Amino acid sequence: MTTPHPAITDLTTHLLTPQTKRIPLPVAAIRVLLSTIRRSRAETMMGLQAELREASDVMVDFAKRGGPVETTNDDGIKVTRYLLANRSHTALTSGTHLFLKYVTRASLETPDFTLCKSQVLERGTRFAEFSLAARDRIASTASNFIREGSTILTHGRSSVVEALLLRAATVEKKRFKVIVLEGRPDAGGAKSAKTYDAAGIPTVLILDSAMGYIAERTRIDMVLVGAEGVAENGGVVNKVGTFALGIVAKELGVPFYVAAESYKFTRMFPLNNADLPEVKSEEEDGAGLRLIKFLDTLSWSGDGGGKSSEAQDGSSNNSGSGGGLEKYLVDLPKSISVENPPCDFTPAKYITLLFTDLGVLTPSAVSDELIRLYQ
Amino acid sequence: MDSTTPTNAAEAPKKEKKKPDNIVIPPKKPKLSKAERRELQERQRAAKAAAQTDGGGDAGKPKPPKIEKKEKTSTAPDESKRKLKEEVKKEDPTENETADEVVALFSHLPRPKPPIDIHSVSNPSIHPVITTLGHLYSTHTLLGGNTRCRAMLQTFALLLQSYEPPQTSRDYRHDLDHSLLKPAFQYWTAQCRPHSVSMGNAFSFLKLAVANLDRDLEWSEARQILLESTEAYVNERIEYAGKAVSRHAASKIQEGDVILVFGRSEVVNRLLLDAHRDGKKFRVIVVDSRPLLEGRDTLQILSRAGISCTYVLLNALSYLMMREVTKVFLGASALMSNGSVLSRVGTACVALLAQSNHIPVLVCCETYKICNRVQLESITGNELGDANDVACTDCERVGPSNRWSGEKEKKEEVLDDWKNQPNLKLLNLLYDLTPSDFVTGVVTEVGILPPTSVAVLLREMSPQENNDSAFKGTDY
Repeated sequence: MTTPHPAITDLTTHLLTPQTKRIPLPVAAIRVLLSTIRRSRAETMMGLQAELREASDVMVDFAKRGGPVETTNDDGIKVTRYLLANRSHTALTSGTHLFLKYVTRASLETPDFTLCKSQVLERGTRFAEFSLAARDRIASTASNFIREGSTILTHGRSSVVEALLLRAATVEKKRFKVIVLEGRPDAGGAKSAKTYDAAGIPTVLILDSAMGYIAERTRIDMVLVGAEGVAENGGVVNKVGTFALGIVAKELGVPFYVAAESYKFTRMFPLNNADLPEVKSEEEDGAGLRLIKFLDTLSWSGDGGGKSSEAQDGSSNNSGSGGGLEKYLVDLPKSISVENPPCDFTPAKYITLLFTDLGVLTPSAVSDELIRLYQ
Repeated sequence: MDSTTPTNAAEAPKKEKKKPDNIVIPPKKPKLSKAERRELQERQRAAKAAAQTDGGGDAGKPKPPKIEKKEKTSTAPDESKRKLKEEVKKEDPTENETADEVVALFSHLPRPKPPIDIHSVSNPSIHPVITTLGHLYSTHTLLGGNTRCRAMLQTFALLLQSYEPPQTSRDYRHDLDHSLLKPAFQYWTAQCRPHSVSMGNAFSFLKLAVANLDRDLEWSEARQILLESTEAYVNERIEYAGKAVSRHAASKIQEGDVILVFGRSEVVNRLLLDAHRDGKKFRVIVVDSRPLLEGRDTLQILSRAGISCTYVLLNALSYLMMREVTKVFLGASALMSNGSVLSRVGTACVALLAQSNHIPVLVCCETYKICNRVQLESITGNELGDANDVACTDCERVGPSNRWSGEKEKKEEVLDDWKNQPNLKLLNLLYDLTPSDFVTGVVTEVGILPPTSVAVLLREMSPQENNDSAFKGTDY
């Protein structure tokens, strides 16, 4: 194989290094683009833009394929790890596009290229810092919406939502309850629940399908989710299940809030869920076995399974070792096809407000911001 | 000098213009007893009835003459202006229908004007192309925002080429405005058909272009500049905008789509033809409505290009919506700043039905049709059509494409004597307003936007300082 694009190497390093692992993917991509600018030997603005565009495209393509990376695992065997498996690359695309737009926007006045390049670098660094700080900014502005004694329903594993809730609990010392949807198939919600519990927030974990019942029964005060991408019409693309949650919230009269950084604003305009661009959901791994497994966990735990807590890594529900899990797997013949979309689209009419680093916005303000930026 | 009645205002000498002409100060009323008052009322009513049976006359309120700036330098334009005002008053269009025939709720709306016999116009100051275009407007030969606007600009271009500013003028721009542009536009609006938003915006642009001309320019140069800017306007804001709309909308047309369109819209036709040319497989349902039946032209255009079409009238809409339609594309006459859409009557029905069936509605409109008005419903701002078109149900005779097919033998209609029926009035509205809630997206040359962003576009289109992007919040 030819040497991978330097952008890929940088991105992989970012994703694998423990310190930088928790940085959101788009911000990591923006840092990669910054190093592309530093490394660039282009002589003109157009050349630089072309290099940046190429680097962005390469990274998006990498993310689309699931980010396969050759590494050696603990036993010294070469394996291919899928770093970005089953994640939407919408935020990555929008983040890099916005970066390109922002950075090249004010660079038309200076004729001297080196001065221009340093300006571009400066703007880019500011953009990266701004984006990194976005999460904290959202946490501080939006925590006003979390009132004492309220019950919050959340879905998916969003670092922005986590930052928000943790700040409200630890810094502002508010007392509230969190109900988390489990988040099949990657158990994202379950992992978030642990984070909340560690911070001392009373947490309830429920099955995805129980959202309607619990929402009405326990009289939740708000629904709070993150976003992979915010579309021009004010709707959001997020983990599958958000759309249904939005409908439930609207029916029950519960406010539905979305916490998203502004670099997730993208110019796409999905009319409905049928209009979303195709995201290939990895149905089978290398050996042709289905990635999604269907398990009768009720009988399995009744049989004494799951007693020893295994550290599960990765995002797919692979058949674990021990506990006799295999006999509780529902064995599906090949004639049954499984559809596992990673994300869905929630239209603007179900969204009450968006918590962003630009402030608290209504869904119609997203287009306003995008028009101003892309003018 | 106090009381001036409207009919004398125009003849009053110019120097007596202390008050604006459209304020009528009635003479002091003498005190009458009850019987005298009743007698006076009876006399007035009889006189009114007599006047109406004669037809025409001054029974209704004649239009107040426009306030004109004083023109000291040249008298010739004044003369022609005065003559034009007289003509406007003489052929007062409100007398086409008596008060009984007009639905009270819509009586404030402009009514159809009778087409003026072009051979009988004697006013020399009105160029024949103006009257010709006016005739085309009033007979509904030219329909559609883009068509009417283009025709208007072409006519202005013709007029500009033959126009020469008078020798004694101090400012040719002023003359141009007063003797050419304004009278022509007023003639079309007052005598022929109220102007569309597209025409209004284009006219404002033209006036602005005239005002921006350098005062000391030679007329031949100025004329060249004006002609070029008019052509640029048509090219950029109508032609290229239409192509851009088509490109943006193409991303929303998918294989196997069933697309519903209503009436005839130039932009929608173009985007469907382009998508078909790019090889996309879809089919179209054309919805039509009486009395204009513009959908037949759409049907012809699309099916000739090889797109498989279905044609229905408006009453079949609910069945189709629930079953087959995947997307709706609509045209617009104007976009209001709150995102609501002014379009051919019937459009609101289509949008409402689509919305309630969760079918996305895309309104395709160029940005030059954006109006800074806000309109909430279809009653305050609309236009009335000829009520007789509603009465005649023979679809072969009505419809603009049929108007020149000659006078076919008129069949007996149920509503032929509707005017004689007490308590019966016919209403023919030309436009309706689609609220922004029914619109999923607006396709403009700038991109696909939510309807709430029309106000943003309006703000961006007006010149202002360049405000930096989304990251204004932090201090840079």
